[in-house]
Amino acid sequence: MPHCRNLIAAFLFPLAALAQQPNLSGVWNLLSSPDTRYLAYSFTREEPPMTDWAKEKFKLTRPSFGPRSFADSNDPVNPTTVNAVGCFPPGTPRIYLQPFPMEIVQTPTRVMEIFEFNHFIRQIWTDGRPHNTDLGPTWFGDSVGKWEGDTLVVDTIGLNDKTWLDRAGHPHSDQLHVVERMRRPSQKTLEIAITIDDPKAYTKTWGGSITFGLHPTWSITEMVCEDNVNFEEFLKNESKPAK
Amino acid sequence: MKIRTIFLALASAVPISLFAHHGAAGYNAKDVETVTGTAVDFQFVNPHVLVTISVKDPNGVVTKWQGELTSPNHLVRAGWNAHSIKAGDTVTITGARALTGAPALRISKTVVNGQELKTEMGD
Repeated sequence: MPHCRNLIAAFLFPLAALAQQPNLSGVWNLLSSPDTRYLAYSFTREEPPMTDWAKEKFKLTRPSFGPRSFADSNDPVNPTTVNAVGCFPPGTPRIYLQPFPMEIVQTPTRVMEIFEFNHFIRQIWTDGRPHNTDLGPTWFGDSVGKWEGDTLVVDTIGLNDKTWLDRAGHPHSDQLHVVERMRRPSQKTLEIAITIDDPKAYTKTWGGSITFGLHPTWSITEMVCEDNVNFEEFLKNESKPAK
Repeated sequence: MKIRTIFLALASAVPISLFAHHGAAGYNAKDVETVTGTAVDFQFVNPHVLVTISVKDPNGVVTKWQGELTSPNHLVRAGWNAHSIKAGDTVTITGARALTGAPALRISKTVVNGQELKTEMGD
């Protein structure tokens, strides 16, 4: 019988833990207003304080979006030059700025972010495990979270240096450490305050707070970046001037 | 040597105009045009939905105009579907003209058989 009791406890404990946790689940889409137009390319309106190392890297980035936008972009996610491969993962934290919704699915031990953009998934472990960087640096890094009252504090390390931090082309090193504070200020909104810490690339931490709106009737649909090849024929015609 | 230089300059310039489609960088926001014609193609595809219409000018010269919308995912949430435009429909598109001068628009307004198809997403 004690054995049986343990089994029941093992089953019920996670459910009880979930009932006590704030619930972030839902389909969320970034909210923007005339005051937050900069969200089309970055997390903040102010230029982040780059080190000389980062300034040199920044000079080589040619984004499609933001104050420095180029028709021949070398954006690793959305390149517009024929020589660029493209469709590389946006990584953490840039994925939040891709203009597609995300769904949060929460279990007692894990919070999952399912991004519509190319169906990328982030797993944020909330079972108390330490960071695991056995794989080496990865596109989205290793994320662990803990609850502080109504806020999920997510700590991410182990990120490769192949991504841009945002759509404006801000670079980073493999020393990047991202902290996200996620909470629900109201039933219909989700706020994520992002802190970017990378001593090799920035002279101080920077970041911004982004707000998402809840979309109860939406579901995450298929969106495949590689389908960009559909454009080839279209663009051939687009490059021909009118007669 | 000079010819070679010119050739290389042209060869490197073509892909730039060819692939300048993401973002608004390939279009002139100050050159907004409206054209009406008959739908010949409608592709409900990523990354952006594509419309091709056949437009006849007053002299009877026919030009194929292309229009680029947002992604199908966004348009579905605004009430569109893969059959929103059919070949033969009368379509009016308004949008910023391609910088290359090509008959191509980044569409801001679409009217199909007299009915505007909005792009604002619902809840």
